[in-house]
Amino acid sequence: MLNLWSTHQFWIGFFDALGIEARRIEFSSDTSEDQARTHAKGRGTVDCCYPVKCVSGHYGELLARSKRKIDILFSPMIYSLPSFLNGHAIDSLSCPRVMAAPENIKAGFIKERDAFAEAGVRYVAPLVSLGDRPVVPKQLYAGLMEAIPGITAEETKRAVDAGYRALETYNARLRAKGREILEWCAREARPCMLVLARPYHMDPGIGHEIEVDLQAYGYPVLWSQYLPIDDDLLQWMFGPDIAAGHIRSPFDIHDVWPSSYSANTNEILWGAKYAARMPWIACVVRMSSYECGMDQPTYSPVQAIVERSGTLFFSFQDLDSTKPAGSVKIRVETIAHYLQKHSAAIIQRKQAASPADCPLGESVAHRSATSG
Amino acid sequence: MKIVGLDVGSTTVKALADAGGTPVWQDYKRHNTKQAEMVLEFLERMEVECGLEPSSDRVFLTGSGAGLIAPLVGGKFIQEVVAVSAAVEKLHPEVNFVSEIGGEDMKTLFFTPSGDGKSKQVYMQSACSGGTGTFIEKTARKLQIPGERLASMAYTGLDLHKISSKCGIFAEADANTLVKSGVPVEEIIASLFEAVVYQNLATLTKGNTPTPQVLLLGGPNLFFAGLQEAWRHHLQKLWTERRIELPPGVSPESLIQVPAEALYYACIGCIEIGCGEAPGVGVYAGTGRLRWWIEEGQHEQKAREGSKGLAGDPTELEQFVKCYGESRTSVTKPGPEQCREAATVGCDFGSTTAKAVVLSPTGELIASCYAQSNGNPIEDAKAIMREIRGAGIERIAALGVTGYGKDLLKDIVGADVAVVETVAHATAALHYFADADVICDVGGCDVKIMLLRQGTVADFRLNSQCSSGNGAFLQGVAERYQVPLDQYAERAFQARAVPTLAMGCGVFLQSDIVNQQRKGWSSEEIMASLAAVLPLNVWVYAGQLQNLAAAGRKFVLQGGTHRNLAVVKAQVDFIRGKVPDAEIVVHPYSGEAGAIGAALCVLDWAREGAASRFRGYDLIESLEYVATTNEHTTCHWCPVNCRRTFIDVRIPGAPGRSWSKLPVEAGWERVISGNSCPKGLLEDVNEMRVVKAKLEEAKNAYPNIAELVRDSAFKRAKADVQSPV
Repeated sequence: MLNLWSTHQFWIGFFDALGIEARRIEFSSDTSEDQARTHAKGRGTVDCCYPVKCVSGHYGELLARSKRKIDILFSPMIYSLPSFLNGHAIDSLSCPRVMAAPENIKAGFIKERDAFAEAGVRYVAPLVSLGDRPVVPKQLYAGLMEAIPGITAEETKRAVDAGYRALETYNARLRAKGREILEWCAREARPCMLVLARPYHMDPGIGHEIEVDLQAYGYPVLWSQYLPIDDDLLQWMFGPDIAAGHIRSPFDIHDVWPSSYSANTNEILWGAKYAARMPWIACVVRMSSYECGMDQPTYSPVQAIVERSGTLFFSFQDLDSTKPAGSVKIRVETIAHYLQKHSAAIIQRKQAASPADCPLGESVAHRSATSG
Repeated sequence: MKIVGLDVGSTTVKALADAGGTPVWQDYKRHNTKQAEMVLEFLERMEVECGLEPSSDRVFLTGSGAGLIAPLVGGKFIQEVVAVSAAVEKLHPEVNFVSEIGGEDMKTLFFTPSGDGKSKQVYMQSACSGGTGTFIEKTARKLQIPGERLASMAYTGLDLHKISSKCGIFAEADANTLVKSGVPVEEIIASLFEAVVYQNLATLTKGNTPTPQVLLLGGPNLFFAGLQEAWRHHLQKLWTERRIELPPGVSPESLIQVPAEALYYACIGCIEIGCGEAPGVGVYAGTGRLRWWIEEGQHEQKAREGSKGLAGDPTELEQFVKCYGESRTSVTKPGPEQCREAATVGCDFGSTTAKAVVLSPTGELIASCYAQSNGNPIEDAKAIMREIRGAGIERIAALGVTGYGKDLLKDIVGADVAVVETVAHATAALHYFADADVICDVGGCDVKIMLLRQGTVADFRLNSQCSSGNGAFLQGVAERYQVPLDQYAERAFQARAVPTLAMGCGVFLQSDIVNQQRKGWSSEEIMASLAAVLPLNVWVYAGQLQNLAAAGRKFVLQGGTHRNLAVVKAQVDFIRGKVPDAEIVVHPYSGEAGAIGAALCVLDWAREGAASRFRGYDLIESLEYVATTNEHTTCHWCPVNCRRTFIDVRIPGAPGRSWSKLPVEAGWERVISGNSCPKGLLEDVNEMRVVKAKLEEAKNAYPNIAELVRDSAFKRAKADVQSPV
């Protein structure tokens, strides 16, 4: 759930280093309507955005387990996030609602009776600033010393290092996959699409796997969290802007988003700039959840950045529990129609506007895109 | 001295008169939106039947209509939640949870013991019909179940089906679908009770657990035995799940009470509170002023309250008619020349009608045809083709299809292009208005808003969640007033002032109209106000578009409902109010836009010079098909179990379905109809497997980063992520 969709491997690596192997970690299942119906009924507290609201279902499900019962419900309050834009943006904070979700949701489980105690589960929700690496060992040590008796500050620090290593390795591997996709597109002169969303939109119950329907039409799908960031590529894309003095580095977004405090928001804005400069990203699909206050101010700039480059832009806003099957089908067919009709011209136009010598390689001869 | 508690609710008036702790008079009656009149009737009866006396007896009023009426009779207004909780605290100190369901609202009250007393939490919902008494009754009326029978219908032991718990009008539609597929009414009603309890628990508990004892109040809870059963079932289940300890030796059923006076709790509360008030408060002033209000006052108020007429001043109307009066273009009959030319045809197969248009090779519209759908897509296709032929079109050179039936019929009729509705509508709009930013299509049963960017549909709103905003309602009201639709605008423009109807729920809009009518608003004025509220429902309530200015400045109105100039006027006023420099145009062929779009798309396709796949009139007319409806065609994707029909059509070259439970050989194509949702277009798991396999192929060929994350992120990293593209 929520921030776990971008920090998963950190926790697996961290606990593994503490001697808690992955097989002893139970993740709640993907968000689903069924999960909410069975486990979240009446547990809601204050009105909040849809993704946070869903957390009740996750807690309820974990507490209700009959097989492989859990001892500790670990739900960190992640104050800031590790982000590849760290050092280039003002900060990399987590959405405050998402950060505070554990406390918010917990309230619905202890309001009348302590549902954690009744299930024999210890609730552990340390505050952790994953975007500020030096303070993390201390935070996690303090947060876990009661739950894991005998834990030492020293081993916590080693585990934190292992966690970051695991996450970095994982992210690098997916970025490499992203590069492979783009190289394939460049070689075959084929379009792909980019999803601009928050990491938790990968959760099938939050993003409803809308991009899977598009994938079925024959378009590879990139996500802004895992775009390739190899130096050769970034210099090719952003070099002219740096030379012109618009930005200081390829990761600088101050030209389009001066208040760069939020990690996920920053990455979405950066992804928009990336899409605008990458010829084979012919289409951007924006997803956003019901009542997301963080996304609200980004709609217009993101759309403007993407569209100014001639890239197609489609948005799915206010996503909530229902996958409006009829309406999603119509939208997906709409997108597929325009992609099929326009993508060849879009790639050509964007290629013409880009510097020569693309590090992704040459396309196979000069295929006429329309006859493809 | 007597004290009267009067509860002026949304559907009934209830009254209880008390003399020194003994009830001396009580009654309840439906008021059919005549709240004041019913209160007057009650007071007059009480004067005669139990000696209610002005200047000495006292009156306390509660309920949605009480705020207006209380000062007219000298009474004091008491908030209804306050009244109900006063009654509960007096009569049932042991109760911790109360559900009161009314005609158009629902409330929950939680009493939590704290210190010496109890703390109260109250939740109330009155903006939407979901979960209220109206929700049940409306559907029951549709199913023609009389009130007495509804009251005794059961919940326990019946199969339940999915019914939208959110909107009364959709619940009615769901119920219709269930009826069509042969579900017994008993099960439908039980499902309605289920939906009401679900809706109450889902929206009105906010993290509190309803704990024993429980009190169920209000008309629906009292009258519908099945609703009580549904509550008992759900509450007991909840108590077991949450491990709520029940007092020993009592049955769980007995912890959920429905008192005989369930209707009168607000009245009892009024009396209870009234007893504690100072003697001078709430002294009954007689019926004089109330009578004045009914006879004169409300009409004076009507004149004050109304907003400006839809037409504006005469110059404004004249200007408007000059701009928009002629925007409707009718299609003339094709000339003999045009008939002989190779024609391009676009067909829009909607759920209720099929429409077709014919374009000349230069893109000029030369004919328009129309056929009512009869539920069998093959017959629908034959019917519309007959119409086109009947219009004199000799040869079809290219055929494009759109609408709900496009995928079913593409291969059957041999269409060259099948385009999705949004693309068809956008193409039709952009053809006439190349700089369009927003398309608003209001049809009879749905509302679509398309936001255009770079010549494509960038965003799209389809109102299918809520019935608010579509044109059917307008038509229904016009019919009630026996005004033909083409005279609607003329009549509506005659209104000098209009009542203000509340935006939103269509169910409540119906009663709002009755209420305004009663205040003396005429049919013209009601029709004008209905047109005036439509844009609000379309853009704000259904479309959820708060910021119209961000959507653009050139608006195209299309869809049959925009043939009504009163609606166009309301739309123009509304849009201009939000976007002062907006340019608003009505599509010249507003009802046929979908078909025109399909025709334009196929015209575009034809430029590439490929030969058309159109099968020809004769072949389509003589299409041979076998329709099967039996236990093998029933859909099992969800508990609704739609009774579908498989229509197997003989089409040379079709692959057949060897894997099916009802196999068809090669040379036959299967069309599925009678399903109520897109899922039912798949036969069963066999076909799902075939489709999934194809999907898997696509997925493997075209990777999706999120799929990799879903597969691998919550496991310990394996050696490597999958191999390349």
